[in-house]
Amino acid sequence: MNIIKFELLKLRSKSRGWLGPILVFILIMVAFPLTVEISNKDLGNSFFAVLWIAILLVMMLATEDIFLEDFNDGSLEQFAISNISLPYIIAVKIFIYWLLIGVPISIIGSLFCLGFTNSSNLAINIFPILLITSYIFINVFSFGNALSLTKGSVLGTLVTLPLLLPLLIVLGKAVISINLNLNYLGFVALLLGVLSIIIFLIPLIISYIIRAHLE
Amino acid sequence: MFNFEFNSLAEAFLMQSQNGQNHGIFVWTVLIIVFLSILATFIFYKMSIKKITKKLK
Amino acid sequence: MYQVDRAYSYIFYISLVLYLVSIFWGLFVTPEDFVQGNSYRIIYLHVPASFISQSLYIAMAIASAIFLIWKVKLSAYLVRSIAPIGAITTFIALISGSIWGIPTWGTWWVWDARIVSTLILFIMYLGLISLHDSFSNHEKADKFLSILVLVGSVNIPIIKMSVEWWSTLHQPASITISDKPAIDLVMLYPLFGSIVGFAGIVTCLVILSSKLQILRRERNKSWIKNYV
Repeated sequence: MNIIKFELLKLRSKSRGWLGPILVFILIMVAFPLTVEISNKDLGNSFFAVLWIAILLVMMLATEDIFLEDFNDGSLEQFAISNISLPYIIAVKIFIYWLLIGVPISIIGSLFCLGFTNSSNLAINIFPILLITSYIFINVFSFGNALSLTKGSVLGTLVTLPLLLPLLIVLGKAVISINLNLNYLGFVALLLGVLSIIIFLIPLIISYIIRAHLE
Repeated sequence: MFNFEFNSLAEAFLMQSQNGQNHGIFVWTVLIIVFLSILATFIFYKMSIKKITKKLK
Repeated sequence: MYQVDRAYSYIFYISLVLYLVSIFWGLFVTPEDFVQGNSYRIIYLHVPASFISQSLYIAMAIASAIFLIWKVKLSAYLVRSIAPIGAITTFIALISGSIWGIPTWGTWWVWDARIVSTLILFIMYLGLISLHDSFSNHEKADKFLSILVLVGSVNIPIIKMSVEWWSTLHQPASITISDKPAIDLVMLYPLFGSIVGFAGIVTCLVILSSKLQILRRERNKSWIKNYV
């Protein structure tokens, strides 16, 4: 419990860390209808494309230094040799990032969906999908960040980006299923299944990578 | 020896099908690209091995 | 190394002959397809390339697992040397597939699941090479490369099953393990020959590439002086 409070305080104090990505997301969604001159009825069709890409990029931005500060000031080594297991600490860190960045973005994204498509059915049904998707993205991008921890470059994150492209295909079909009211719960179940595997595996993999970095 | 599908070299170049389309250009383009890339890879690796064995001697 | 050197020329010439014979047979002897006309002959170049590129990734995944579990350094060299060859085979598969698409489907690119997943495979191969080359410490680089290969191996079932899961433009598999082949037998034999021949050529390329990798990585060891 102490760890959760500790990480929460740490992230909240660094206001650039959690407020920044949310503001970038709002900026992208607001700038999109300004830069693309489309009429009101085409806005709904292209909204979801911009939504998924915007969330992808914002999550990549948000997890850019999820482990970097801890690595630089040595607290990562303290985590590695402490009594609490390193995968647990990493899982808590990712969870806090999701609470402070992923959940607000999901809420704001659903509100934007309501504004763009004028359909409350879409907005309500997209909210759980957004929650799960943002959590999956944060997990995978923090895995990418851990790969290139010592270099400080975004190479690791870029290399893990292609792994998420099949997920984007599934998300596109999920949106279609909401519109046709076809198999919505099936898609939510699929995403939950992927999330449950990823929540379990990614902290283990990241802890292995961090221990390899620290040697 | 075999029953060839095309009767002359010009016909093989074009590969005209029953409904009159000339698809030969596609097949030959793909063949050239594939052979060139495999050849380039072989040459690249042989040159690199030669360079590094010369350096190690 | 010496045994591989001796066997190399045999493998090379046999598989080269097999591959060229199959291609020649496929290009000139087999009759034309009823639906597609003569452009279906690209199948003898496209199918071996895509099949081999996926098999190379599976081979990389097995070698990565061996490296991570048993710490065999040769496995790590093998993973690093297969990556460029896999990239080239995937490139051949993508190019031949898209050029085949022009007469058949009317378009050279379509965003359906199998094609996009193969593109993802190509990008992953390039990402693996760049990730490994960005580290100066070789042990760390090997470990991270292996982890990334294993995590990315989730793409291979997506490629293989994508034709069944989603209704796509790409045609489903003509050769499966259980059913009768959906393709005529006359066209099937050169297809098998070209797959086996291409696998042989790719094996030669992997042998050359891993030779280069071993020479580079072990250049300070004493047995190298005796070898060269």
